[in-house]
Amino acid sequence: MRLIEDKDRRQRAILNIIVLLIAFVGVAKRSQTLDETSAFENILIDSFAPIQTSVTSLRTEVSSFFDNYLANISASKSNVDLRRKVQDLENSINAFEELEKENKRLKNLLQFGQGIGYKKILAQVVAWDASSDFRVIRINKGLTNGVRLQSPVVTSQGLVGYIYRLTDHFADILTVLDNNNRVDGLIQRVRAHGIVEGFNNEKSIMKYVSRAEPIILGDVVITSGLGNIYPKGIHVGTVSRIERESYGITQNVEITPAVDFGRLEEVVILSAEGDEQKKREWEALDQMDEAEENESRTNNSGRSR
Amino acid sequence: MKGDWLKLIRPLGITLLILVVLEIFSTALVPMLGLMKYRIPFNVLIILYLGFKMETPYTSLLILILQYTHSFFSIEGWEMGTIAGVIICIVISYLKDLLHLSSSVITIFVTQVFQSLWFVIVSILLYLKEENFSYIVEKFWRFLPESIVISLLAPFFFGILDVIWRAETDRALGDSV
Repeated sequence: MRLIEDKDRRQRAILNIIVLLIAFVGVAKRSQTLDETSAFENILIDSFAPIQTSVTSLRTEVSSFFDNYLANISASKSNVDLRRKVQDLENSINAFEELEKENKRLKNLLQFGQGIGYKKILAQVVAWDASSDFRVIRINKGLTNGVRLQSPVVTSQGLVGYIYRLTDHFADILTVLDNNNRVDGLIQRVRAHGIVEGFNNEKSIMKYVSRAEPIILGDVVITSGLGNIYPKGIHVGTVSRIERESYGITQNVEITPAVDFGRLEEVVILSAEGDEQKKREWEALDQMDEAEENESRTNNSGRSR
Repeated sequence: MKGDWLKLIRPLGITLLILVVLEIFSTALVPMLGLMKYRIPFNVLIILYLGFKMETPYTSLLILILQYTHSFFSIEGWEMGTIAGVIICIVISYLKDLLHLSSSVITIFVTQVFQSLWFVIVSILLYLKEENFSYIVEKFWRFLPESIVISLLAPFFFGILDVIWRAETDRALGDSV
């Protein structure tokens, strides 16, 4: 009775129910493998992401400042000129070394997968996901740079993940450490198949590997090419632990990813020209399925009448 | 501020701005400093504040807007956090006569208790969707340090949010505004 009489309480109850219903529908509909952003989300993510990029750059600058200048504050005044020269030279050397390292990294990245028929897009990591439940990284390339949803992402070390969410200028990568990312993997030595799933911040697990497969520690895991996302032969990681129970038909294999996610700075997106074509084919198949379902429903209702 | 939607717009705008700044700090700076495993869920902290202090019937809408903003920085989406937030606000509304955020220690304790409830609700939803218990166990070990940091930050943050939302700091939660 209090609820009906009190206007505020009634309003609050109605709003709570509406918001909960919308959220429950949202949870049910949310895809764990793909997220297509709306135009509004697109604009807002594109507005916030440059600030994330600036903060990342600022941190690098500050760190460089502390490394290069503060350590030298206590030097004597008589050596100021000399020190300045040395400092300048050191800065130049540091900068050259950094450039050389970057050059090597980028060269490796660009040389990687030369045989794979994909357009390679170089991108920088600008942020990580705001929730520790997800191992997702944000990069500074988007739709306008030719990135497509579900494009595989790699480094010279191996597989990083695939494009999960995309805006005009930025993209989110669902890494192989995330448990929503499932990669059809192949143990290179024995050609045994399994599904590689993210587990925590350092490890992935390979499921459904037959117990009879003679896997050993250190075996290399590569992508099998099945699943329509990753090309075949990309290095996923190495076997770091094997669990065989006394029962069951499979064994649990722990994988240490080939990519060091703690030091990830640049990645390469492999964007296939045929991605759009592939998407249209999937949509056409979905539409055919829906049309068949609708037809069978109409037939069933006709019969029941 | 009880039922006046217009009076909520300004503090909501400022709160959203604070959330955006904190999310940028959490996503761009913290991981680059080497803290890859943990993130500080500032959205949870703000939503708990709304639950504790707001008397407006629009609390659920405010939670929805905050979670939607959070979703720009996480693929987590807005849905699960909204469900957890609204349920927690309903629970708090029934317990308001018992809860008094009169000291920092109590604020820290109460925030920790309701964060645990948040964890339980989100875990149930995740289990229903994923059917993966080991993931929830792994999430629990991350939840512990993250929630402790949030609880310790709560008295300071609630003070700032009190100024923004012009809530009375010393009142018991059950008192009318």
